[in-house]
Amino acid sequence: MLASAAILVVGWQAGTQVTASNASTVTTSAAGTTGGTASGTGSTANGTTGSSTPGSSGTGAGTGSTTGSSSTSTLGASAKAGGTYAGTAVETRFGTVQVQVTIKAGVITDVTALHLTDQEQRSVQISARAAPLLRSEVLSAQSANVQTIGGATYTSEAYLTSLQAALDAAHF
Amino acid sequence: MQPTSKPSEPGLGSAEPRLRSRTFTSMGTVVSLAIPAAPGTAPQASVEELEAATAVVEQLFKRLDRTFSLYRPDSEASALARGELALRDAAPDMRRLYVEASEWRTLTDGAFTAERPDGVVDLSGIVKAHAIREAGTSLLALGLKDWCLNAGGDVLVDGSPTPGSARPWLAGIIDPENRSTLLTAFPLGNAGKHALATSGTSERGHHIWSAGLQAAPNEGFRQVSVAAADIITADVLATAIMAGGAATLALATSHWDVDVLAVKNDGGLLATPGFRNLATAG
Repeated sequence: MLASAAILVVGWQAGTQVTASNASTVTTSAAGTTGGTASGTGSTANGTTGSSTPGSSGTGAGTGSTTGSSSTSTLGASAKAGGTYAGTAVETRFGTVQVQVTIKAGVITDVTALHLTDQEQRSVQISARAAPLLRSEVLSAQSANVQTIGGATYTSEAYLTSLQAALDAAHF
Repeated sequence: MQPTSKPSEPGLGSAEPRLRSRTFTSMGTVVSLAIPAAPGTAPQASVEELEAATAVVEQLFKRLDRTFSLYRPDSEASALARGELALRDAAPDMRRLYVEASEWRTLTDGAFTAERPDGVVDLSGIVKAHAIREAGTSLLALGLKDWCLNAGGDVLVDGSPTPGSARPWLAGIIDPENRSTLLTAFPLGNAGKHALATSGTSERGHHIWSAGLQAAPNEGFRQVSVAAADIITADVLATAIMAGGAATLALATSHWDVDVLAVKNDGGLLATPGFRNLATAG
């Protein structure tokens, strides 16, 4: 707890922005510095303070890789805690990228780019941006128990052979 | 009637909500209203409630269709299109919806528009969503708390399939490459998103146009689904993103609290966090 408090102070001095997360039980923000060290500040929802000390390589040096390397190296020891982590801003060939990583039970469940500069060097917020998603990532939804079906407007003829018609028939 | 295929197995767990639905045909498509078969009441009570509510929604759709359909020569919309009626002389409903569509044209940088390239006012891109919105208002006024309205693949819900619980309605999203399968599903009602609209090229042909905006072929979309708090926002933005491509997608996700799942022409998927989180949650 003492160590956590000390890191908290360091994190404050480093100007780390603590971001609150809505769903996670623990919210921790970790920011790496260019020297390869990082400080973490903890904002806690249930009394736990997380902190991170990342590896010495990675975040500041990334050239060809973006979210992958910076997220991995920023997480470090605090990954076990779970929560949402903001990585340091990294210069890449795609521009400046900062990633936010969500961890649940030590497993990365989401990686979101917080901001990057576009080709015109403007800073753009892309946290809500649509990012590529693999079909294999959503295949599990095939077995989901859905109550209704969304799709591009079908004609009344096409309805007859649609999944929605099957659902409506089942809901007699 | 025995359905030949279903995306879900019936009877898998007693927690699975039991629903009833009724359908009718309007605006060239099929509208269905589903409500939970309330366990505590006599079965006939919820059937009568559902059928009365469906009748209200059907009347509303048919009234709007009589005004707005371009397939009906005697509609006000057809009279406008032929130039026999000026917009200022049209019914208040028509004028209000035209104003609303015009505002969306500005908000979407022209990606959504209610004017065809030949200058004819065509509100068909927003009429169905308007009907869904009005129907939702009526259902709430009837005192219905838990319902799911699906009009040709556009969905508006309230409450839960399990009355009294926080369980969201789960809407499957059709895979445009194989319409007998689902791409994924989206929980409606969570995070205030009650509406889901999908725009695409797969069923009604390429009927979307835009004012000067033309997406490059390699960044075009085959299907776009938008979840939003209200059905107009969801429907307009789905149509706008289909028309405007990646630029409009970026505009939509940065200006509105929406979740988007876009299927690219090459089959790839683009998804905002609301669709991604469901994928990771399995």
